Amino acid sequence: MSSCGNPIAEDAALMPRRFKFDKVRDCIKCKLNPGNIVIRHAVYCKDCLTPLVTLKFRRALEPLVNASSGTSKRPKLKASGSLTLGFSGGLGSSVLLDIVYKTYFANQPSVDPSGEPRGGANHPRNTNVWSSCAVCYVEVCNAFTETRDRTEEIRTALAPYPKFDFIPLRLEDAFDASWWSKVATTPDQSQLGLELGKDGLCTEGFHLAACPTLPPAAALRSYLASLPTQTAVSSAIKVIVRLLLLYTARSRQSSHLLLGTSLTTLSISLVSSISQGGGHSILEELQEEWTCGGESTTSEKLNVIRVVRPLRDVTMKECAAFGWWNSIAVVGRDKQARASAGIPGLTQDFIVGLEKDYPSTVSTIARTCAKLEPKSASRGSCILCQRPLQEGLEDWKNRISIRSYSDAKLTSDLCHLPLLAPFGASELSTPPHQPPSILTHLCYSCQATFTSRSSRGPKPAPSSIDVSGALPLSTPLPVWVSANHTRPHVAHEELVMSANGEIWYQKKQGEAENQSVVAKFLLDT
Amino acid sequence: MSTIDLTIEFGGGLELLFGNVRSHAVSLPTRVPASNSTTLSPPVSTTKPADVDYLIHHLRDHVLKERPELFMEGDTVRPGILVLINDTDWELEGEGSYQLCDCDEIVFISTLHGG
Repeated sequence: MSSCGNPIAEDAALMPRRFKFDKVRDCIKCKLNPGNIVIRHAVYCKDCLTPLVTLKFRRALEPLVNASSGTSKRPKLKASGSLTLGFSGGLGSSVLLDIVYKTYFANQPSVDPSGEPRGGANHPRNTNVWSSCAVCYVEVCNAFTETRDRTEEIRTALAPYPKFDFIPLRLEDAFDASWWSKVATTPDQSQLGLELGKDGLCTEGFHLAACPTLPPAAALRSYLASLPTQTAVSSAIKVIVRLLLLYTARSRQSSHLLLGTSLTTLSISLVSSISQGGGHSILEELQEEWTCGGESTTSEKLNVIRVVRPLRDVTMKECAAFGWWNSIAVVGRDKQARASAGIPGLTQDFIVGLEKDYPSTVSTIARTCAKLEPKSASRGSCILCQRPLQEGLEDWKNRISIRSYSDAKLTSDLCHLPLLAPFGASELSTPPHQPPSILTHLCYSCQATFTSRSSRGPKPAPSSIDVSGALPLSTPLPVWVSANHTRPHVAHEELVMSANGEIWYQKKQGEAENQSVVAKFLLDT
Repeated sequence: MSTIDLTIEFGGGLELLFGNVRSHAVSLPTRVPASNSTTLSPPVSTTKPADVDYLIHHLRDHVLKERPELFMEGDTVRPGILVLINDTDWELEGEGSYQLCDCDEIVFISTLHGG
């Protein structure tokens, strides 16, 4: 076995440089043209790359277009609702936008000699797969200082796609009652907030409390500033963006929400999500069927929104080359505005570096995660991120955590309040001063978002988040957190705030439960 | 000293680091220091033909407006930046050791600007 020697001492000892492509420089697809790009050791020419990317896009999307697969091997594509497309101005979403437009919306139906569509305007051949498409952009500038509003740049970038409706959203819409009234039918209770522990140590429970009414942008900043780490801030922004898109899609009766996540960014988000405690909902990170509150009733089956990532088999390098050779404008964003601080940023650096040296490993991450299944069953959905809620989470946490102090006074001082009973389990025995806990309604990932403390000490004064003035005692929550408690089919419980700021439970009892309560008072007939 | 003229393009949002200008015309000497030093120092003994490695250092030192760490890592471009030399992936052309010719078009495309 030959040795590489000492590369510093002897130049000749360096190993010969390996090429990053297999065998020849010609395109492996057409075998005619000289290659232009190397994709996972395979060489493609410019002409073959575009159909290759389009094919991967269609292969990922089209099996999920029709509501039911039916029996036909090649069913005619017809979605049950409209289409919503999440657009960030980044590379992946710009490529996605262009492909969707050219594939499903740009082509006009063929016309007969009289100029009318062949077979008539209502002929199935002449109808689009989706009736309409809305492009949603979420502006995040109010979450960061020194970040400018790019909404108008995005509007300009969408000018070449006139058949798409542009819906500008803002991150602070998540705290805006007027936005909520447009997209949802349930009443707004945005005056509810999250009460943290006295010293910010909120490991012993989260309590819904009265929250002073703040303007949406201030509420957003207050919410982000209350989070303990930069990782938590990135994670919270990602959750808010996702739910803003989903609720907007629902308000437009959309059947599909498309995201421009490429294979590389999918691998990054999978690893990042697992490392932040989101392993239970790893399949939702790949592909999701979302209904408000997580459980669909019969009447809501039609309102299921499929979240699809059609570029999940296309690497970022393919996207970049495709975009460049097809003259697709990419607006681009600052690193700060991409909310990639903390674990997401570190994961991105790791995986992008990995892709450079070992291009095939990135697809291995995504394919391996697609085979994973959660170990335990789900019970409903998390009220914050609306992903599946793990069964027995509290029991598991109680088993692995040291959660009691020997000194009762210290306990009281540090934890503000003792651990509460599960939500709605014993309302009658709950002391009147004790606010309701939402602990059991949060998934592990969201609990970690609120509680994880950096091993390097507390979060430094946020340079990227402008916190003007002192934080209020309770932190505002996104509007859907409290609003979803009013949904009778999710939980027969309701949070109501009275005029004097008290929070009440209302619980609708079932008929059997009613009968058992009054049974001893009933007269035998 | 003879020079070579190059057209440099930036895409995928990378132009934000270069004053938001997508296209630049750059002239480089045909022989450059082997150390890739771009400072105007006395003539060095060890030189090499101008290559992409030197071009990257030149762009960082003379064209880049902000945050060099988002453009370079070590002696090469940051992972996640695709480099095309005359419309061909630089991995097919020998990456940084590709010797530049007059009128070459070099494109840098960032893939790191989100999904």
